[in-house]
Amino acid sequence: MKDTRKMEITVGVFVALGLAALLMLAMKVANLSQFTSHEGYKVRAYFDNVGGLQVRAPVKMGGVTVGRVIGIGYDAKRFQAVATLSIDPDYDHIPTDTAANIYTAGLLGEQYIGLEPGGEETSLKEGDELQMTQSALVLEKALQEFLYNKTVKAP
Amino acid sequence: MIDLLADLGRGSIAVFQRLGRGHLFLLRVLASLGTLVVRPGLIIRQIWSTGVQSLVIIVISGTFVGMVLGLQGYNTLVTFGAEESLGLVVAKSLLRELGPVIAALLFAGRAGTALTAEIGFMKATDQLSAMEMMAVDPLKRIVAPRFVAAIVAMPLLAAIFTAVGVLGGYFCGVGLLGVDAGSFWSQMQTKVLLMEDVVNGVVVKGVVFGAVISWIAVFEGYDAVPTSEGVSAATTRTVVHSSLAILGLDFILTGLMFN
Amino acid sequence: MRGAGLASTRRFAYCAGPEQMPQHALNSTRASTPDPLVRIRDLHFRRGKRAIFDGIDLEIPRGRITAILGPSGTGKTTLLKLIGAQLAPAAGTVEFNGVNVHRLSTPALYTLRKHLGMLFQSGALLTDLTLFENVAFPLREHARLPEPMLRNLVLMKLEMVGLRGARDLYPRELSGGMARRAALARAIALDPMMIMYDEPFSGQDPISMGILVRLIKQLNDALGTTSVLVSHDVAETSTIADYVYVLSGAKIVGRGTPAELRESDSPTVRQFMGGLPDGPLPFHFPARPLLDDLLEKTP
Repeated sequence: MKDTRKMEITVGVFVALGLAALLMLAMKVANLSQFTSHEGYKVRAYFDNVGGLQVRAPVKMGGVTVGRVIGIGYDAKRFQAVATLSIDPDYDHIPTDTAANIYTAGLLGEQYIGLEPGGEETSLKEGDELQMTQSALVLEKALQEFLYNKTVKAP
Repeated sequence: MIDLLADLGRGSIAVFQRLGRGHLFLLRVLASLGTLVVRPGLIIRQIWSTGVQSLVIIVISGTFVGMVLGLQGYNTLVTFGAEESLGLVVAKSLLRELGPVIAALLFAGRAGTALTAEIGFMKATDQLSAMEMMAVDPLKRIVAPRFVAAIVAMPLLAAIFTAVGVLGGYFCGVGLLGVDAGSFWSQMQTKVLLMEDVVNGVVVKGVVFGAVISWIAVFEGYDAVPTSEGVSAATTRTVVHSSLAILGLDFILTGLMFN
Repeated sequence: MRGAGLASTRRFAYCAGPEQMPQHALNSTRASTPDPLVRIRDLHFRRGKRAIFDGIDLEIPRGRITAILGPSGTGKTTLLKLIGAQLAPAAGTVEFNGVNVHRLSTPALYTLRKHLGMLFQSGALLTDLTLFENVAFPLREHARLPEPMLRNLVLMKLEMVGLRGARDLYPRELSGGMARRAALARAIALDPMMIMYDEPFSGQDPISMGILVRLIKQLNDALGTTSVLVSHDVAETSTIADYVYVLSGAKIVGRGTPAELRESDSPTVRQFMGGLPDGPLPFHFPARPLLDDLLEKTP
């Protein structure tokens, strides 16, 4: 029983190590520290087609992540898809006429929402709606259009 | 033919009997957990011998599994020009599957067998019997603390395995193969979810696997035929049964959680 | 619960002191003793199809050394386990101090076991603890004693068996005889009312056998405990036992003081006490005739 103290200390270190590993997984790997969905203010954006956009996809401005998509749904009245964005409160001077586009990072990469700031004086706030949107580029559609143009022009 | 059927019948009856005995044993163990509230010191000693003693093998294996994932993942992803997703691939596969499963398999081999052999040996040398005669319930004094300690240690080990694995993947991908460190982390951070991946994967699977391994290990030890052969057979059964249980349960858990 | 257990341990420990024990003269020829500590009536026990005990009546008088002798494999250890209620009989009763041990609830049984010490054949010391901790084990489990007091108690018990100097050794570092003495120190740690010895002499060299014989006698006389000794060593057992039962073929075939048994006219008892190779207890395991076996006549 002499080594009880030593053993207890090693067990303490072990448990701390395990919890630290969990914490690292939560913070560094799952990135809990940034953008939990409650923090930011929410704005909506309507798209004809969201393509492969997913919840938790980043919302970027000039390549910098300023928020995250926290919900994607379908508005049955407007026949449009609606994405709810949570914007980090640090970025509270985004003009109301900002445009939202769905982009793809790389050819097969993930899809994200890119915001292009407009010129209005007033800033976006909780519950606002982004008026100008551009839908996702759907590969099949683009190919179809390309082939159609080719065949129309060809003769 | 009749003999064959009779053997088959006897065999399956024996399986059911064992299954029943194992579950009744589990109930008795659960019923004797109360003492541990009064004497948590008993658990600490067992966390030391199951958890701390397994740490080295977990850390080393975690590093290598992470590095291999980094290497293989890079080779596959680079053909699509998507190597910046390496962090995501490494983290997701470790968190959801490889971390808890490999850690559990190693734990069964390292700590599970030790538990079975220890309890079986105590039974074979009359130590358990002697405790009963000293009015000490071996279920409370010997089995229960070991059972709980393994359940506590397992998710911690799975977390350590996974964390070390991610670092191993980082070392291989970013350090050796030249993936951009920023995209390694950012891709990971965008797509890895706390509840779905970290909690469901490492924590839930870790606890479930820990419970199953320690249940099988203490049962096999307690139920071992009290001879050298009996204990060694029980130790083998612990590895075989817990490995099968881990893989089977992993499939079920994955189906339940990640749909 | 713990407090109650401790209190009753103390009470028994003190009232079981030698001066308060009824030191009535024991008429050893009598089959039944007034107020025995253990009374076994019509005990039946079977393992599989084989009957181990087939209607055994037995009494263990207080303050005496009672020996149960019998050839190997007659279930002598089983009998001790039945007394300690580690096994349950098929029929019959075992009363300890007037209570049927097999009717007790688990907590009551555990309280009773605190008054029972048992010395296992293998010693059964806890291998991961030192000798000191082994002897301290029952005390730590059942009594919250201050550390200095516990230390004194343990050292006294170890001194009784002559192993005070070996207190920091682990069981694997002990010889067989020392391990058994250490186990004895542990068995008496709680000052039990009765100590059961399972084959205390088997596998011992003559010296440690002599030591054990003396120790058992001393402990019995000094602590006023009741001793039950299960053995097949006729000579050693006869020197210290006050009363002997001879067990054979699932029945008790002889009873009496060692002197009486030596004079017994029962052939089985004579064979066993005299150590004759063949007699009513056959030398051969039951088998078909040798000639049949040799000629490979498959039945």
